[in-house]
Amino acid sequence: MKYRWVSLVPLIAAIVLLALLPALVNNYWLRIATGALMWAGLACSWNMLGGYAGYINFGQSAFFGLGAYTSALLMGDPLSLPFFATIPAGIVVTAIFAIIIGAPTLRLRGAYFAIATWAFAEVLTQFVNVVDFTGGIGGLNLPPFLDERFFYFTMFAAAVLTYLVTWALFERSRFGLKVKALRDHEPAAEAMGINTALVKLQTFLLSAVTASVFGSIFAYWVTFINPKSVFGGDITDQMVVMVLLGGLGSLWGPAIGGVGLFVVNRLIWMNWGDTAFYIAILGAAIVLVVLFLPNGIVGLFAKRPARSGTVLDKAVNRLAGGEGGHS
Amino acid sequence: MSRTNLAVENDEIRSAGGYILTVHDLYRHFGGINAANGVNLNVGRREIAGLIGPNGSGKSTLFSLVAGTIKPDRGQIHFDGHEIAGMSPHRIARLGLARTFQIPAMFDNMTVTENLLAAAAQDHWQGAHERAADTLSLLKLEHVADNRASDLSGGQQKLLEFGRVIMRQASLILLDEVTAGVHPNIRKIMLEAIARLRERGISFLIIEHDMEMVRNVCDRIIVMDSGRVVASGSFNEIVRNSEVMQTYLGRPQ
Ligand SMILES: Nc1ncnc2c1ncn2[C@@H]1O[C@H](COP(=O)(O)OP(=O)(O)O)[C@@H](O)[C@H]1O
Ligand SMILES: [Mg+2]
Repeated sequence: MKYRWVSLVPLIAAIVLLALLPALVNNYWLRIATGALMWAGLACSWNMLGGYAGYINFGQSAFFGLGAYTSALLMGDPLSLPFFATIPAGIVVTAIFAIIIGAPTLRLRGAYFAIATWAFAEVLTQFVNVVDFTGGIGGLNLPPFLDERFFYFTMFAAAVLTYLVTWALFERSRFGLKVKALRDHEPAAEAMGINTALVKLQTFLLSAVTASVFGSIFAYWVTFINPKSVFGGDITDQMVVMVLLGGLGSLWGPAIGGVGLFVVNRLIWMNWGDTAFYIAILGAAIVLVVLFLPNGIVGLFAKRPARSGTVLDKAVNRLAGGEGGHS
Repeated sequence: MSRTNLAVENDEIRSAGGYILTVHDLYRHFGGINAANGVNLNVGRREIAGLIGPNGSGKSTLFSLVAGTIKPDRGQIHFDGHEIAGMSPHRIARLGLARTFQIPAMFDNMTVTENLLAAAAQDHWQGAHERAADTLSLLKLEHVADNRASDLSGGQQKLLEFGRVIMRQASLILLDEVTAGVHPNIRKIMLEAIARLRERGISFLIIEHDMEMVRNVCDRIIVMDSGRVVASGSFNEIVRNSEVMQTYLGRPQ
């Protein structure tokens, strides 16, 4: 299957350009690039389960927040662990919660999972709001480290790793075949010997811990976090819209949607400050996708774009209570 | 109804030696409908058994019960030395049972080749690419190998459904109306493929409405009505049994 290697060419070109970026732009734009990489990575993490497996997760910000808070707590008093030691800790904490949420609900119809993830994120936010050790609503400070290049390259490495893993696992391996098979027709996937409950849980785990890694880096980067800044439901909303706009279930869609919408967000912020304009754009993007672009922006470049039984159809069927991705 | 040709004597079922599949007293209801109402049947090793019966008699339900897609209320299903009633479908599949779905159950967003590979991804990955290529040529689907499954014609989807079952390397294959509504050319391709698989020692249980095909392919015919097996025998025995024929032909699909 030679044609798939073609997707490596833009990847290599993008990596080279991005590696040179700190030499080309000032700190202001470097910060924006760092944010764009983070959102590309987060969108990709949501797409692993939402796009490749067709299971909609409305609580992905919980895992971003778990990574952020684990790093903040471990880097602060009394442990003062080095930053890179806190990333694996965040992964472990996130994985435990993902198993607790995913194992029982991923066996049920997709709507239950969607509700469970949303409720989990809400409960976790309220919990962090009220308990003492997380600093409550006041949040937590991290040891300040003001090297923009460090954060740019750390985010860059995390994003490249995320896309490489996604490509290798979901586009190139038989694991990816199993995931896509269960997305498109769960009973048929089972009939092929695929343990769909297990494969879904594995995918959910990978999706959750990826968000957690970006949460860890984000917390150290911004040096201050509170429940709203890392658990907020708007973080999940943005990931969802980025993926839908870029192309659900595709490798590059989340990168296009993530970078595109984040840059638009920053441009609006620069010109008009903190307005509701960006929210309106998110809404318009959803309408656009639902009405005209079921395959997102990447669908515009497809030779034979899908018309029926699209990935979006599969995910929506699940939410509507259809069994296993088909109505 | 007379049961002259009922080949499902309990003793016979319990001594399951020669059978790859034995179903004993299987029940399953949907609301007030008894879709499986005490099903007894067996399929011998290397046998091609045809399953016929009017629409709604419970044939597809029986397949789903055997494959584990739906759970029986009670009863036993013995497959190749294992009691599989109530077992999850992926475990039953891994034991060597493969089934098609009456409505093609395509992996819509995957290509034809990927659909075939997905069928082997779990437990038959060794050499899967070569076998997928062989299957494509056996079923004459090479020209659509890279098309999305949802873009195929109905007949092609039936072929792909059949192709995925071939990829499973199963010991028993359940085919649910795979030839219904397909072009005679495609039907011929399927018949040839079934003949080849049988040479490899694979057993079949085939739901089929086309009596010509039933006569040509099946060693034995099993007749279902209202969730039960009502007769079993050779094609000629079944045709001579006028009551069975009335049951079957008197209520056309
Ligand atoms: N999932 C289901 N829910 C409710 N009723 C069902 C379901 N599956 C089958 N039935 C009913 O069970 C009976 C047997 O159906 P089926 O096994 O599809 O028959 P056949 O394949 O012989 O045409 C029918 O009355 C059908 O309506
Ligand atoms: Mg049927």
